[in-house]
Amino acid sequence: MKLHEFVVRRLLLLIPVMIGVAIFTFAIAHIIPGDPAAIQCGDKCGVIVDFTEDGEPISAYEANRIRLKMDDSVTVQFWRYITDLAEGDWGESLLYHRPVVDVVKDAAPITLEMSFLALFIAYPLGIILGIISAVRQDRMFDHVSRFFAIAFVSLPIFWFAMMLQLFLATGTEHGGICDPIFGTEGGCFPIYGRHDPSYTYPVDGYAWYYPAGGTGFHLVDSWFVTDEKLATLPSEWGSNWLLFKDTLFHLALPCAALGIASAGSLLRYMRASLLEVLHEDYVRTARAKGLSEFRVVIVHACRNALIPIVTILGFSIGGAIGGAVLTETVFAFNGMGRVAVTSIQYLDFVVIMGVTLITSVIFLLSNLIVDITYAIIDPRVRLE
Amino acid sequence: MTEESRDGEVLIEVKGMKKWFPIKGGMLSEVKIHVRAVDGVDLHIKRGETLGIVGESGCGKTTLGRVLLGLIPITDGSVLYDGEDIRTIPDRELRRRMQIVFQDPGGSMNPRMSVRSIVGEPLQVNRLAEGAELTQKVADVLDSVGLKREHMNRFPHEFSGGQKQRLALARALSLDPEFILLDEPTSALDVSVQAQVLNLLEEIQEKHGLTFVFITHALNVVNHISDRVAVMYLGKIVEIANTADLFDKPAHPYTHALMSAIPEPSLEKASRERIVLSGDVPSPADPPSGCRFHTRCPIAEKGLCDVEDPPLETIDFDDHAVACHFPLGPGMRLPVVDDAQTQSGDDDGPATVVL
Amino acid sequence: MRDWDGGKGNRDESLRRLREALSQSKSDLSRSWKIYRRSLLAMLGLFMVISVSLVAIFAEDIAVEHPYRNLQDTEDKWSIDYEPRRADPFSEECDWHEQKITTNPNSPLFSEIVVAESDDKVGDDNRYYRDTLSVIQFIKLEDSLGYDLNLSLLSIDPSNSSLLVLSPELYGNTSLYAGVWVTYEFDNEEMHHWWMPDGYDVCIFGTNDQGHDLFSKVVYGSRVSLKIGITVATLTVIIGTIVGSISGYFGGRVDEVIMRICDIFFAIPGLILAMAFVAAMNQITSLTIPLWLGILFPIFVLAAFSNTYLNSTVPDDDQISEQAMSLIMRYRGVLLALVGFIFFVGWMPGASWPDFFGISESRSWRAFAALGILTFLGAIILADRRFFLNTSFEGGLGRIKDSFDWTNPWRYLTFRTLAVFVSLALLFSFSGSEGEEIVLIKDFDRLWKVQAALIFTGWPGYARLIRGQVLYVKEMTFVEAARSVGARPGRIMFRHILPNAWAPLLVAFTLDIGGTILSASGLSFLGLGADAYTAEWGLMISESRRYFLLSPHLMLYPGLAIAVTVLGFNLLGDGIRDVVDPKNRR
Repeated sequence: MKLHEFVVRRLLLLIPVMIGVAIFTFAIAHIIPGDPAAIQCGDKCGVIVDFTEDGEPISAYEANRIRLKMDDSVTVQFWRYITDLAEGDWGESLLYHRPVVDVVKDAAPITLEMSFLALFIAYPLGIILGIISAVRQDRMFDHVSRFFAIAFVSLPIFWFAMMLQLFLATGTEHGGICDPIFGTEGGCFPIYGRHDPSYTYPVDGYAWYYPAGGTGFHLVDSWFVTDEKLATLPSEWGSNWLLFKDTLFHLALPCAALGIASAGSLLRYMRASLLEVLHEDYVRTARAKGLSEFRVVIVHACRNALIPIVTILGFSIGGAIGGAVLTETVFAFNGMGRVAVTSIQYLDFVVIMGVTLITSVIFLLSNLIVDITYAIIDPRVRLE
Repeated sequence: MTEESRDGEVLIEVKGMKKWFPIKGGMLSEVKIHVRAVDGVDLHIKRGETLGIVGESGCGKTTLGRVLLGLIPITDGSVLYDGEDIRTIPDRELRRRMQIVFQDPGGSMNPRMSVRSIVGEPLQVNRLAEGAELTQKVADVLDSVGLKREHMNRFPHEFSGGQKQRLALARALSLDPEFILLDEPTSALDVSVQAQVLNLLEEIQEKHGLTFVFITHALNVVNHISDRVAVMYLGKIVEIANTADLFDKPAHPYTHALMSAIPEPSLEKASRERIVLSGDVPSPADPPSGCRFHTRCPIAEKGLCDVEDPPLETIDFDDHAVACHFPLGPGMRLPVVDDAQTQSGDDDGPATVVL
Repeated sequence: MRDWDGGKGNRDESLRRLREALSQSKSDLSRSWKIYRRSLLAMLGLFMVISVSLVAIFAEDIAVEHPYRNLQDTEDKWSIDYEPRRADPFSEECDWHEQKITTNPNSPLFSEIVVAESDDKVGDDNRYYRDTLSVIQFIKLEDSLGYDLNLSLLSIDPSNSSLLVLSPELYGNTSLYAGVWVTYEFDNEEMHHWWMPDGYDVCIFGTNDQGHDLFSKVVYGSRVSLKIGITVATLTVIIGTIVGSISGYFGGRVDEVIMRICDIFFAIPGLILAMAFVAAMNQITSLTIPLWLGILFPIFVLAAFSNTYLNSTVPDDDQISEQAMSLIMRYRGVLLALVGFIFFVGWMPGASWPDFFGISESRSWRAFAALGILTFLGAIILADRRFFLNTSFEGGLGRIKDSFDWTNPWRYLTFRTLAVFVSLALLFSFSGSEGEEIVLIKDFDRLWKVQAALIFTGWPGYARLIRGQVLYVKEMTFVEAARSVGARPGRIMFRHILPNAWAPLLVAFTLDIGGTILSASGLSFLGLGADAYTAEWGLMISESRRYFLLSPHLMLYPGLAIAVTVLGFNLLGDGIRDVVDPKNRR
């Protein structure tokens, strides 16, 4: 199979899955008890807001029902939902009173920034430690690193996040360990939030003002804050670097909490994969040729051992988004995870549908990219 | 005895058997490609005889066996067992009468089942015996293949290769069938064990009046055990004859080539010519037109062999049939080509025969 | 006449073969154990799992208090604004009791001698929990305005240490008619424990903001977590195995559809899906009858599987004397009963024998019992193998009659029969009637919903795993061999394919128990799991967030408990992986 045919095939396979996800989210949103029309008008549902042509009074509740077109049959509603989705109209949040697209647009970069940074740290860490562990198989380092790898996988992520907060983001009186070591005050890292509150403030009830709009990835945005904007900020935020550093420091603990489990499982995968490769004949041949052990491991063995690791990337993205629900709750990030939690708590089913859909799109697309990468690296895959 | 009186009459008749396996093409292509594993085979098997089927790997001999037993559905044609189409015989009845012994004796036995369960399974699933009766029957059949009653509670991995093949044979025998298909039963065994198993097979055939089809790629084994031999090439039978006839007077050039590949233990005959066929076996998904063998045949004639498919026809003596436009007579030899051409290995050119 | 009446030689032969078969499986086990023992981490994991399980089983004996009971005070005697202390670990404060005493002799509540007792409604079923406290010393005495009074105004009744005696200055003192507050240190009989050295009978992990003893909550929490972990993992494995083996065995369009459905499940992050599912179920208070099938069907499939599996490993022919056979059968039954007992009684929080027959209070008890007995008899008939031997409708009655073997009751003690018992017990324990429909689970509380959500999101992983295994095993020659002797798909599936495909499943199952505990605690942490103040580790961490800086111990211990439990199961799973790895089999 040609590469382009493979890509087309994978894209076509996505369509039924996407439709399935849409049906699924729609079904769940409609099983969820609670009447969105009643939620929207709250305690004013009985208020007469309009009259029909016959002069019958219409209460706010009935008006909401008409506006939300809730009296149509489920199939009609579903069809409208699908067509609206295709047109980019994802409905309006009952809780935030904003279009779901906007809510998601604000929230998605936060989650993605955190997850990607976490994986960006976890991957090299896990792979390098995995290589060392495999090369020193059954030595002390191997045992210790394997134990810690499995221990970190076993930690509840929210608890680990809170322990990080406690030890690295609080002063000595609360159990912080940073102050005596690094001479900091109140811990090495900020305890929660995305920014120092002194230069950001909420606008629109939900979105936070940031000196530069742009991508929403504040690690990037911080470099594009104009000098005029910088001048308006408090004096301690007078440069792009300081803004960047602030964002980075705020991201450090969430990323550590999110990435450590991935690093642990990666270590295990990498170790297993490399050990398998190291027993292959061509590695023995490479050794027999008199190559240095370093060259054998890094050039010959690792290249092939890394190929299966690529496939894990797709799954770890899904895992990271799921884990983000918990880390965002602990660190008060208004990312997609937190939006999902809030919308489920307040039964804001339009947002639930939107968030579920967008997370699955992200997951599916990243998996697609991973698969295509894999097909490029390892042409055997295309033959399946 | 009825069995003996019926000896020699036809037990199984295969008419125009075809087995095509579809393979998936590209996503966008509608045309399905088929692997023609068996492509029009006519054959009859006489009661009480041993028919050897030989051929290279991939020639469809294993598929032929599976279809013969009704394990995989036939694409076209029919298999008549005792005059009845096997598709109309109830499955349970069919399994009782026809059994199979697989090539890999270890793999053909569930590693988690004891010998009693393995050998008794055919009886159990066909509801022929239960409990004590089952144990007794298993013991008897183990005894008949030279194993002991004590082996009954062991597991397959505790046995040697030859013993495992005996077990497989015992399983096939437990239903007291009339016909057993032996699918390369000895190829996974050491040579010393092979002989034991072959002798056992002959002994059992004698005792139970069985009919065997013996599928193999080893000609010396076929020579030893078969009454008649069929040679297959690319899903077709190219030559079928009594064993002695086939080995003395091979008529098809492919058979010639095969015969020449038998290693000669004798020093005097070491100089016998060895025919090396050029090229690879063509893909069964896209078999050559006309005679299947013409791409590799040293005596193929353009205009005839690549156009017209030769039918399987009886030549000068009884029961010796060959599918070739130019069957070789007794003592005839294939033309000899020099070494240089062997190296160039041109697929469409005349075959190379090396001295 | 049975076989054991036959010749002695026959019996000896049978026993010998039985011993052989037993030693075969014993050597198999000992070999596995040898491989397992090689890994120190695996042994550590086994130790952790066993200790957590023991803690869960003996929670009543280990915990010093009821998990929801306020150590420092009782609901009905406490003032409303009182904020219970978050006592630090090993502090004395959790032995302090603050009580309001009416000093007005005209009040109906007044008594000269005031009993120090704890009388609280606790637990899921609001049962009364009462015990008597002995007063050791007084800490503080305040009037209703908060001014300290002299402690000597109170004394302890010398004949009964649980009685307080008010001095005459206190009662009848009109300025104190609103009552006085007394804080005293008590000695709680309940808190003396067999495993605690003298002088350490204080709350060793401290108390939480509600005054609940944290140690007891952590101990009881192990029950909840293990129950969720094991139930969810078991049911997901069963559902996944059924779906996956159907998908793998039949292939084609069925396979295509099932795998696409699995893709949909994989596309949505599990936690978000589980959250949405819990939210969707929040208004459902009970599960009704069609879900019976959801529980019964998997149990029967499992039973069929185990039956064939046991049959394939234990040679069960009648030549082996039935006396000896009955020994195995009895052993098998007792073992399974024990497991069932521990599982359903030990790990089910608050479950006790009356709960199992709680249905007797229901008005439809008689009808239901009759139905149950009929089902039971029918199931016994179905459970008999002979009934299946010739499944046709001719002469069915005669065969049913034949299938009852009154001379040998042991033959009913098969796993299948036991499964019938277990499923009936399940039905009895959970069912009740509400209005017209028969309800499966009366209290469909949030823990049930968490379990349902995790099962709902978990099965596709197993389906995929098992499908792969089935596809792999299906191609092996012995499956073809089985087909060539005329075995039916059911037999091939249960006897040939699944027994050879369970190894990775076992590993995944063990690892999944840990994973499920993590997910369940995550859901509880987000407020979608257990109800408030339940002894659930995730919820305890969530509740401790308010006192994050002030009392970090509140989150430390539950978190450690989760980590240790999950780590134990992960290490165990790793160890099992080494055992079932064919590379280590040599």
